[in-house]
Amino acid sequence: MQTINRVNFMVGGPAGTGVATVGTLFAKCLQRSGLEVYGTNDYPSLIKGGHNTYLVAAAPEPISAIVGKFDILIALDKTTVQLHAAELSECGAVIYDSNKAKDAETLVSRPDLVFIGAPLTKMAADAGGEIMFNTVAFGASMGLMQLDFAIIENMLNKIWARKGKKVADANVAAAKAGYEFSTAALKSPFKIKIEFIKREKTMFINGNEASVLGAISAGCKFVAEYPMSPSSSILHLMAGHERDYGIIVKQTEDEIAAANMIAAAGFAGARSMTATSGGGFSLMAEALGMMGIMEAPCVIFNSQRCGPSTGLPTYTEQADLLFSLHASQGEFPRVVVAPGDPLECYEESFNAFNLSEMVQTPVIVLLDKFLSETSLTVEDFRKLNLKVNRGKLMSDGQMEGSPGFKRHAFTEDGISPRCLPGQKNGLYVCSSYEHDETGYTSEDPHMRVSMIDKRAKKFSSIPAEMIAPTFYGAPDDQSQILLVCWGSTKLPALESLKLLSAQGIKVRMMHLRYASPFPSRAVLSALTRAKNTVIFEGNSEAQMRTLILQKTGYYIEKAYLRYDGRPFTPTEMAEHVKKLLNK
Amino acid sequence: MASVTELNNNHYVQWCPGCGDFGILIALKGALAKIGAEPHETVVVSGIGCAGKLPHYIKTYGFEGIHGRSLPAASAIHLANDRLHVVAVGGDGDGYGIGMGHFVHTMRRNLDFTYIVHNNEIYGLTTGQTSPTSKKGIKTKSTPNGAIEKEINPLLIALSAGATFVARGFSGDIPHLTGLIAEGISHRGIAIIDVLQPCVTWRKDLPYELYQKMIYKLDAEGHDPKNLESAMKKAQETSRWPIGVFYKEERPIYTDEIPFIKDKPLAKQEISNVDISKFVEEFL
Repeated sequence: MQTINRVNFMVGGPAGTGVATVGTLFAKCLQRSGLEVYGTNDYPSLIKGGHNTYLVAAAPEPISAIVGKFDILIALDKTTVQLHAAELSECGAVIYDSNKAKDAETLVSRPDLVFIGAPLTKMAADAGGEIMFNTVAFGASMGLMQLDFAIIENMLNKIWARKGKKVADANVAAAKAGYEFSTAALKSPFKIKIEFIKREKTMFINGNEASVLGAISAGCKFVAEYPMSPSSSILHLMAGHERDYGIIVKQTEDEIAAANMIAAAGFAGARSMTATSGGGFSLMAEALGMMGIMEAPCVIFNSQRCGPSTGLPTYTEQADLLFSLHASQGEFPRVVVAPGDPLECYEESFNAFNLSEMVQTPVIVLLDKFLSETSLTVEDFRKLNLKVNRGKLMSDGQMEGSPGFKRHAFTEDGISPRCLPGQKNGLYVCSSYEHDETGYTSEDPHMRVSMIDKRAKKFSSIPAEMIAPTFYGAPDDQSQILLVCWGSTKLPALESLKLLSAQGIKVRMMHLRYASPFPSRAVLSALTRAKNTVIFEGNSEAQMRTLILQKTGYYIEKAYLRYDGRPFTPTEMAEHVKKLLNK
Repeated sequence: MASVTELNNNHYVQWCPGCGDFGILIALKGALAKIGAEPHETVVVSGIGCAGKLPHYIKTYGFEGIHGRSLPAASAIHLANDRLHVVAVGGDGDGYGIGMGHFVHTMRRNLDFTYIVHNNEIYGLTTGQTSPTSKKGIKTKSTPNGAIEKEINPLLIALSAGATFVARGFSGDIPHLTGLIAEGISHRGIAIIDVLQPCVTWRKDLPYELYQKMIYKLDAEGHDPKNLESAMKKAQETSRWPIGVFYKEERPIYTDEIPFIKDKPLAKQEISNVDISKFVEEFL
C-alpha cells in the first residue's frame, strides 16, 4: 500500500554542500504539487565540523512540525548515513553517492531500507558540472515518489533563470538523471507517492522573509542594520530588493548607529527599521528610550538566539522577552509583539509599522532563530489586503495652516499631531531631554508628570482585538487542559494538539503574540475558566509566566521549559500534557 | 530665506558667560543666513553636552539625541530627506570620545552634511574631566596626577578617513568662522569643522588671549587646500595653530548612487500602496 502525499524528508551533509538548497528544492516541489509543507534547518549538537541538515514534512493538511521518522534521507556524505539512518521509517530510502560511501549498506543493519547508491558526482559532471551532485540527489528523491517531472523542470527553470538558459538546462539535466536513476533502481514502487492536487498558489516562506515582505508592503523606506545571526538574512533580503522598492539599506558601523539612525529617519518621515539579535539589541538599549521620549516611530526586529552574551549563536531561545519589555532606563510605552509563524510575521511586521506611527513609539518584533529560518506554506500575502495607517501625520497643506503648531501637544488620547522637518510652522527640537509641548527642555515637576502620563496614555488607542491572544483546539467547556505558549512555540504546539486529539485528549491552546500592550483581561478570563493549565516556553525562567502573573495576578503553576537551543517537539509536548493529566 | 534675526528664538541660553559656544552659535546663524537656508528646511542635530544644547537656541528644526550619536542621526535625517540642510554640532567628548566610531565612518561615507565640533579640550557639562583632545599631562578632576594618554588629532583622522572638506575655526573670530561654516554647508559632501573654543570655566589655562596669540590663517600663508599631503602636514602643526580650510575635494556624494531619490526624497515618497507582487513571486 502506497502512502499518498505525506512524507518526512531529511538532507544532510557538510556545510557548504548545498544542504539547504536541496531541502528547499524538495520542499518547493511538494508545495507546487499542492501540499502543505514545513521546512527547517537543524544543526545536531553531537557533531562538530559543520554537519548541517534540512528537514521537510509535507501533508495534505496544514502542518507545522515534523512528527515521526523520516521516509527519505539524502546523504551528501558518509557521516550523514551513519548519523541518521536510524531515524528512517520502515522501508524508507537512503540516497547517497556510491563512489563516496561505497559501503553505505553495510554501515547500518537495516535490511528494510531502500538504498539508492548513485554515482552522483559523475552523473553531475555528465550533466554539466560536478557542483550539481546535490541536484542529482534531489532528482533521485523526486523519482522515488514519482512526482510529475514537469513540476521539477518548471521550478528549476524559474530558480536558475537569472543565471541563464545554459545553467538552467544543466540543472534540469542533472535532476532528470537522478530522477531516472532512482526510477530504474526501484525493484518495486516506493512506499510514498506524490499526486498533484489542484489548489490556489501558496507561498513557501520563512519568518525572516515574511517579516521583510511585511515591512516592504507597509512602506518601509529605510533600513539600518549591523549583521548578526540569525537576523542577517533580513539585511540581505532588503539590500537585494532596495532598488525594486526604493529602500535605502545601510549597513552601519554598529548597532548603536543603526538604532540612532532609524529613530532619526522616523523623525524625518521615512518608515524605518533595523534587525538584530540579543547582543545587538543590548547595544540599542539607550536609543530605545530615546525613541520613546522623542515619540519617534521606528521598528526593531530582534531574532532571539541563545544568550547570555555570545551564547549559542545559531540556536534558538525565547529568553529576551522580559529584556525587550524593560530595556533602557526610565518608563515609556513600547510595543512588543512575538509572531508565531511566517504568516503572523508578515501581519505583525506590517502592523508594527502602522502602530509605530499611530502610537508614535518604538515597536519591537520578537522573532527567534527557529522562526526566522523555518518555512511554511502560507496563502498569498497579497490577499490579506492590509492598509497603511500613518496615524496623526500632518500633510504639508495642513501644516501651512497651523501657525503655533506644538509637536508634543497634549490631547485626549495622548497622541499629538506629528509634523516633519521641511514643513512650515512645525519648527521644534525633537529631544531626548524631557520637554514641554514645543519640544523645549523642561524640568518643571508638573510638566514632567504630564509628559510621562501623556506618553503612557497612548496605548489606550490600540484596539483590544488587535492584541488579543488566539485560541486553538477544543472549545472552552470541553477542554481538559489549557496549553499556553507564545511566539514560535505555536508551531510544535499546534502539532501536539493533533497528537493529543488523536488520543482522545481535548486540549485548548492559548497563543500570545502581544507582550506589550498586554491583553490582561482576555488572558485572565481564559486562565480562570481552565480546569488545568500548563505553559510551554523556550527559556529557563518561564518569563511569560512571570509577565502573566505581573499583569493578571494569576500564577500558572505548571511550566514546561526548554532551553537547550532547540525548539520543542510536538511529541514531548504531548507526552508532558499526558503526564499532567495522568494518562 | 532667513535673516539672522529670524533664526533667533527667545530661549534663555544656558552657557556660562563668555563661553566660546556663543561665537559658534552666532557664526552658524550668520552662515545659514548667508547661504539662504530656510529655517523649516534646516535641521540642527546634536548629541549631549554643553554644545548639545545648541539646537534649542536657533529657530530651525532640531534633533537633540543621545551622547555621542549625533552623526548617525544626522546621516539618517539627510538620507531620509536630502533636500534639507543638515548641520550636526557637538563637543570634543561627544564627537571624538564616545562618538569616535561614528566619526571615522561618517567621514568616509561622504554624505552631504556639515559637522561642527566645539573643541574645548575638556568635558564641561560633567564639570571638568579630561577629553580626547586634552593634551598629555593635563590635570583635571579625573586626572589629578596628569593625563597619561596622548591626545588625538581629529583633523588628521578626518583626512585619513577620507573626508572631503576639513577645516578648523576659532570661536573668537566670528566673521572667519561664519565664512567657514557657510563654505562647509555649501560643500557637496561631508564637511567637518573643528572649532577651537575656549572653556572659560574649566580651562582657564586656555584663555582667548592664548588662542589669539597662537592662531594664524592658512589662506594668508598660501596653503593649497587641494593638496592632501600638505593638509596632513598642517594638521600636525603644533608650534602655531592654523585655522581655515585644510582640505577640500570634489567627489561624488553617497546619495549620487541612490537613483530612486533623484525626483523625490525618501520621506516624501508614496507608501500607501506598495505592490509586492515581484517579491511574492519568488516564494510561489
